[in-house]
Amino acid sequence: MKENIVKRVIALFVLMLGILVYVAVSAVRNIQHSIKSEDWVNHTHAVIIDAGDILSYLHAGDAALRTFLITGDKRDQAAYRNDYNTMIEKLLDAEALTRWGDEEKPLHQRILDLQVLISNRIDVARSIVKSREQGGLDGVRALFASSPDVESIGKIERAVGNLVGEEDGLLRERDKQEHLQAQATRMTVYLGVAVNFALLAVMLWLLLDDLAARRKAAQALEDANAQLEAKVQERTAELVKTNQTLKQENLERRWSYQALDHQLRYNQLIINSIAELVFVISRALNISRVNPAVVHQTSWEPQDLIAQSIERVLQLPPDTASGSPQNPLITAMRDGREIQERPAMLLTRSGKTTPVHFSLIPLHDQDKVVGGVVTVRVPNGAPPPGPT
Amino acid sequence: MKKHILSIDDEADIRELLQEVLTIKGYRVSTAAEPEKAKKIVKDDPPNLIIMDFNIEEGDGFVMIDEIKKIGPAIPILLLTGAVFDRTVVRDTIEKKVSRYLDKTASLNTIVTEIEKLLGDPVSGPGNTITMRRAP
Repeated sequence: MKENIVKRVIALFVLMLGILVYVAVSAVRNIQHSIKSEDWVNHTHAVIIDAGDILSYLHAGDAALRTFLITGDKRDQAAYRNDYNTMIEKLLDAEALTRWGDEEKPLHQRILDLQVLISNRIDVARSIVKSREQGGLDGVRALFASSPDVESIGKIERAVGNLVGEEDGLLRERDKQEHLQAQATRMTVYLGVAVNFALLAVMLWLLLDDLAARRKAAQALEDANAQLEAKVQERTAELVKTNQTLKQENLERRWSYQALDHQLRYNQLIINSIAELVFVISRALNISRVNPAVVHQTSWEPQDLIAQSIERVLQLPPDTASGSPQNPLITAMRDGREIQERPAMLLTRSGKTTPVHFSLIPLHDQDKVVGGVVTVRVPNGAPPPGPT
Repeated sequence: MKKHILSIDDEADIRELLQEVLTIKGYRVSTAAEPEKAKKIVKDDPPNLIIMDFNIEEGDGFVMIDEIKKIGPAIPILLLTGAVFDRTVVRDTIEKKVSRYLDKTASLNTIVTEIEKLLGDPVSGPGNTITMRRAP
């Protein structure tokens, strides 16, 4: 997008530059042409003026010559000579002005033709002056009677008239061309400027369009960033919440552990403080736990009793109440009933027996008997276990 | 200003955990394991609430409650103990001596909620127990 717009702008600039160069070249060429044309016009006017002057000085010289022919005065002679000389100078000027360039060749030829006519005319004037000096006025009259000069003056006047007329025609043609050239140049400049303005407008539109697109893109980026920021904040909030939940769960877990540990130790302390012998048994009468009073009274270590039948340390009489020959603990556990203060014999590690009373509390878990707690009370005065 | 809570317990782990939780909740927490230190705190820097165990080093819970009530009779007491009392005993005896009784096996959420109720603070609600609260 960005590269495209740059390429387009550069292309438009190159095009504008090309147009400007073309307009500038056209203008320079027109200026050069105008300068050249002006030189030509000046030059042509100079030739026309010279041609007019030739004719004027010719007439002035003829008039002065006639005056001299009448008066014979030297001042008149000097006057016609001066006029003729000036005429010759003008003729030479005109010849010099038309000497160069292919365009001037026909004109130059006419000047040369004019030179011949004027030369003839001067020869006639010389012959007249000579006649005046030799034969006086009569000689001159005789010479004029032959009218050799009338024709030559007419020829000169026609030649000059043709020359001036031709030059005027060329001037008009040149003026027309100049006008057309100026019009073309004007149109070129106007068109170039107009096209450049149009290109500038296109470029401006492109740049504005690009700016709008960039603004839109920036806005889109800003929106995307805002959305991303919102998502990040949302995710951060979720993480913070999760972290808080985890912390809470951790604290709850630690608290549960501490509370249960405390409770367990407290319960253990209570059990261990009971003076009666406490046996926790399974439904098969195997011992799963004993209190320190058992160790104290029987000298058995817990590891000697755990997983052993309670009959190893407690000899029970038959269950006379139910009339069954089975161990009363088995029937009581099966029925889920308690036994209170029944006599039994406690066997110590040394094999010594002590009369005791026992009780059974079945352990119920969801209406099922999962085991029981047997407590054994040693009557007062019963001896502690002796050495083996 | 942060509300002041005094935690009295012979179990260091319990004291520390309670202190951590209640500090997160924005309370200022003092702790004591024995009666003399607890009484000194009650005198010098009266707490807004006392949380105490029934078992105290070198002391007795019931005696301790009576002594604290003499020093600061308006201070609410939350008895938080592992010595499980019979529900009837709790209703008829314990709750006449203290503002509230809770078993230590109660969840931390429940304990904090009770503390907030006793202090007259907005209850955080389930699941928000440990959420940090701005100090008042």
